[in-house]
This record gives sequence, structure tokens and C-alpha cells, in this order.
Amino acid sequence: MKHCDKCNVEVRSNRKYCPLCHQSLSGETPELPKEIYPEFVTLRREVQPFMKKLLTVASILAIVVLLTVDLIEADGKLFSLIPIGAILYFWLVVRYGILTKQNAAFRIAFLTTILILILNLFDQNITDPTHRGWALNYVTPLLLLADNIAILGIILIKRINYRDYLFYLLTILFFSLIPLILAFFGIITIVWPSVATFSAAILILLVIVFFFPKHVKDEIRKRFHL
Amino acid sequence: MVKHKFPSDWFRLDNAAKIFPVVSNRKETNTFRVQVELTEAVEKDFLQLAADAVLERFPMFKVRLKNGLFWHYLDRNERPFLVLPLKHRVCGDLNPKENNGYLLQVYYRDNLIAIEIFHSLADASGAFVLLKTLLYEYLLLKGYPVTPDNQILTRDSTSTMEEFEDAQQTYFDPKNHKHVHEEKGFLIPGTPIADLNVGLIAGTISTQKLSELARSYGATITEYLVAVAMNVIYVTQIRYREHLKQNALPVKIFIPVNMRKHFPSKTLRNFSIFLKTNMKMNRPDITFQMILEHTKESFRLGLEKDELIRKMSENVAFEKNLFLRLTPLILKKYAMRIGYYLLGARLNSMSFSNVGKVDFPKSMEPYIDNVAAAVYAGRMNTVNCALVSYKDKFKITFTRSIMETTIEREFFRTFTAMGIPVEIESNFVEEY
Repeated sequence: MKHCDKCNVEVRSNRKYCPLCHQSLSGETPELPKEIYPEFVTLRREVQPFMKKLLTVASILAIVVLLTVDLIEADGKLFSLIPIGAILYFWLVVRYGILTKQNAAFRIAFLTTILILILNLFDQNITDPTHRGWALNYVTPLLLLADNIAILGIILIKRINYRDYLFYLLTILFFSLIPLILAFFGIITIVWPSVATFSAAILILLVIVFFFPKHVKDEIRKRFHL
Repeated sequence: MVKHKFPSDWFRLDNAAKIFPVVSNRKETNTFRVQVELTEAVEKDFLQLAADAVLERFPMFKVRLKNGLFWHYLDRNERPFLVLPLKHRVCGDLNPKENNGYLLQVYYRDNLIAIEIFHSLADASGAFVLLKTLLYEYLLLKGYPVTPDNQILTRDSTSTMEEFEDAQQTYFDPKNHKHVHEEKGFLIPGTPIADLNVGLIAGTISTQKLSELARSYGATITEYLVAVAMNVIYVTQIRYREHLKQNALPVKIFIPVNMRKHFPSKTLRNFSIFLKTNMKMNRPDITFQMILEHTKESFRLGLEKDELIRKMSENVAFEKNLFLRLTPLILKKYAMRIGYYLLGARLNSMSFSNVGKVDFPKSMEPYIDNVAAAVYAGRMNTVNCALVSYKDKFKITFTRSIMETTIEREFFRTFTAMGIPVEIESNFVEEY
């Protein structure tokens, strides 16, 4: 035990100074084999922030150049929105696809939902009127279909954690009903992808309700408790 | 071992717990630590086995936090739980990559076993129940002749509904929920420690001497220590500097009250209400006696049953607000965060949690040297304190997020000046 003459306290440590007043300690030779509390080991990584800065600057630069060129050309249509959308989507993929702590089902569900929204925006605003509707007619239902199958696949492969994915599957199944409703009101003109997605969704829903009835009920109760 | 099956594998957050997931981040972690020092080195493998068994016994701790549409909730976590070597940072945020989403962490180092736990799961009283069970199972696995003596919830006992009830929802009074406005408190200034580290300085004093000292002032130990802390804040931060604007704010010490002592609840979740001292100290003539009188008065008023129920009901009324309940979590999160930083975060100068006396069965006592607790220190509450007594060792643990050790130094010098020996330990955060 070491002693601080100034504070008049005993200090349980091998160190040379008092933690209270930072004066040197008196006392016999070290007796503790080890300090009670461990040393600080830094976990800071120096490389990552630089890459992030570089990519951020490159993205901003690209967006500015694209917008400038597009505005100088001034033909009434902003084609630069396509690469700009792609750049922003890249950042979403980095943030919510790679760096997130969420599970695979969340990543798939979130990123495809955003992708569908972006593609529909392109479709409505940039495509010329004769070809308009590709995103609504084909991309939206078929991406949702792919999503459904992918998340179901994850659930079947990684069965240990299936409860974690169930919620996202249910969300995408819910979204899959939307194209059919849009088709019903005549907003979607080509019907077969929407119908295919809808029937697949119903099929998958039946499968999971059939195999995991309690868990589906529980999941809904948990997520929606007030 | 009996495998406990539960009808439900998820838990709502209790009333007090709801705010923590929303306002916690790397700086304000809202975790606390309970630790015990054994008389011999801890063996990791036995501790791991004990931890696995104990988590099966307490389904309410074997959980992780998930987002619902309206509220967070605790969902059963089937991933492995790992005990880890103790880290330097005291009460840091719980890294989901390291502990598979668990909201608590069991650490070991030499003779130490420490549990760090997120405040949403339990309060200190609940955490000590967990620590006791863990220690009991550990000692049992080591082959020592320990007996539970009705003081330990062993792994063979069953987990009951009572253990995870939201006691505030049970004991509140719908008629008595008046909101009382609070003003901001004095914050202890200082230089922030780099890398979000937290400094820890613990002093051990003889329980008997401390209780004699407190009695000579006609106060309980907690009242006396709170008064000493207030006096130290006054002497080191405020006296003769009254003209400074920030020193006009009242010094408010936040003292959690263990409600299990006032209501017959056995819950392990959060069940504490706070009381506060509230004294404007911007005058040069305040004596220790005046501070002590004020502290005693604050305790008397704060511990009145009506007042305790009022605070509890105020919290419950807030949660029961239909408008708030129906707001989706994603918006509620921001609303609560803004509200907390506007109203809640700057109300206290310091928190002073007295866990009280910790008892172990007689058969376990030979293996235990001392017991301690620590709370996180954030950017607002820069210095916090936790008190635990075990046998004749009264351990006062200060945690701080600032470099300056003025408060701790003067606090402990108060006792050494009166001839009471103090033994100090520290994590020497200033070296890194």
C-alpha cells in the first residue's frame, strides 16, 4: 500500500503519484502484482475516415460538375439527376447495406424500397412520355417479388435467427399488395408482373402462417404494442 | 437444470426504462456497473458457465432491444453470451458487436467480477440480485461449500411475473400526478477527458466509523455524505465566485430512492424515484451546518409517501398520454430527445446513488473482499457518485468525465482531516 502525504490517504496502486492530487507517493515497493483497473487500449482506426472524406469530396464534386454542365446545356431536361441519384444511392448502400448493424433482411427490404422509389421518380420525371411507366409496370412488382423470395430464402437458410427476419418479410409482403391495387385503378397498365408478385406474396404468406403461426402472431403483437 | 418455459419471450420496457434507449449515445451511455472483488483470482471458464446458467434463470436479462412501431421492446436473445476481460472505460456504451446485442456485460479481471448493465434493463438493486446469483453459481461451480440461505435466487428457482413487473404502473395514483416545474441545476465545469474515457476514483472508509460520524451530526450516512458533497461543490466551485452567472444556479444532487423499501414489490426492473437537494449557494456565508440542515429537510420532504407517489404518477401519466402513445417511434424518438435535452438533461449537478448495504450468505463471505458500484459520467453530469457498503467496507466510487479531481480530492480530504483513514483506488485515466 502506498501513501500520499498531502491527502493523507492510502493508495492501492503501484503507480508513482496520487490520483487525487498528483503528488508523488511514498511507501514500500510494489506489492500488487497488477493494477486493479486495466489500461486503456485505443480502438481508433485512422484509415477509414480518410477514405470516407475522399469519397465524400469526390461525390460532392461530381454532383456539382454534373449539375453545372446540365444547367449550361439548358434543354429543359435534367439528365444529371440519373447519375446524381446513383451517387446518393451508393451512399445509402454504404450506410444501410454495409456499415449498418441491422440484419440482412433489413438491408434487402430497406434498400430495394428506396431503389423502387428512386426508379419511379426517374420514370415519372425523365423518361419521355411514350416509354413512361416501365418502373411502375415492371420494376416495382418484380423487385418486390425478388425481395420476397430473397428474404424467404434467408429465413429458410438461417433458421436459427428466423424470428429476426420475419418482420421484414411481413413488411415486404404488405408492400407486394400495392401494385395489384394500382393495377385495379388503372395506374399500372401491364398487369402480369403485379399479379405474379401478388400471388407469390399470398403463397409465401400462407407458407409462413402455416409453418410459424404463433411467431407471426407474436411478431405482430410485439411490433405494434402501444 | 430446470429449463424455464415462458408463455411470452418479450417484455415491454418499464416506465422509467423507456427514455433511456432514446437519449443514450456514446457520450451519455446510461449504463452502470456493479462489481465484486473476490479474495482469489477469477477463472474465466467457470464464470462463463455460471453466466450462461444465470441468464437462463433471468429471462428478463437474456434480451436485446428492438424497435416496435410505437415503442422499443426487449426481445429474447438466443445468441451466445460471452464474458469479457475488463476494459479501461468505465460504463462505456455496450458494443453490440462484442456482446451479441445483450444489454449487459459480465467482465472479469484478476479478482474482479463486474457487471455493466444498461439502465433500461434494471436498476442497481436488480443488478445486485443478478450479481449475487452469478457469484453464487460461480462459487458453486468452483466447488466451494456455499449455500443460498434464502438470500440468493438460485438457478433452480423459477422466475416469476413479479420479478419483471413494471412496479410504477402498479403503485401509481391516477389522482395525484401534478407536474412540478424544475429549474436548471449547477453543472460542474471541467476539461473533458479524451476518447470518452471515464475516470474512476474509489475510496474505502470503515462503515462503523462513518456511521458514528454521521450519527454525531444527527444524520443518516447518505444525508451526511450528500451534505459533504454539496459542501465540497460549494467550497471548490462557488464560494467567493457568486457574481458568475452559472454559479447562481442551485446545486442539485440527484438521489435515487429504492422504492422497494416503500412499496412491497419484488421487481428487478427499474423501480426507483429520485429526490433532490436544491440549494442556491451564491453567498459567501454558507456553513456546513446549514447545508446539512437543508439536506435533511430535502430527504424528509422527498421521502414523504405522497411525494413519492406523485413523482411516480407523473411519470406514468406522461407515458399514458394517448397522443404520445400513438405517435410512431421514429417521430417519438426525436420528440423525446428534444424534450429531454431541453428539460431533463441539465437539471442535476451530480447524481449520488446509494445502493446501501449488500449482504451475502455467511457461507459466501470468506470469498468476497469488497463490493462496489459505479455510474456513468456524461457531458452534463460530469461527476457522479455511487455508494455501497459491505461489512465494514464502505465504498464511495466517483466517476468523472473531466480531468479535474477537485471534488474527489476535497471530499476524501474531509475525512482524512478528521482522522478517518481512507483507502483510494483509481483507474488512472489521466495517464492515457
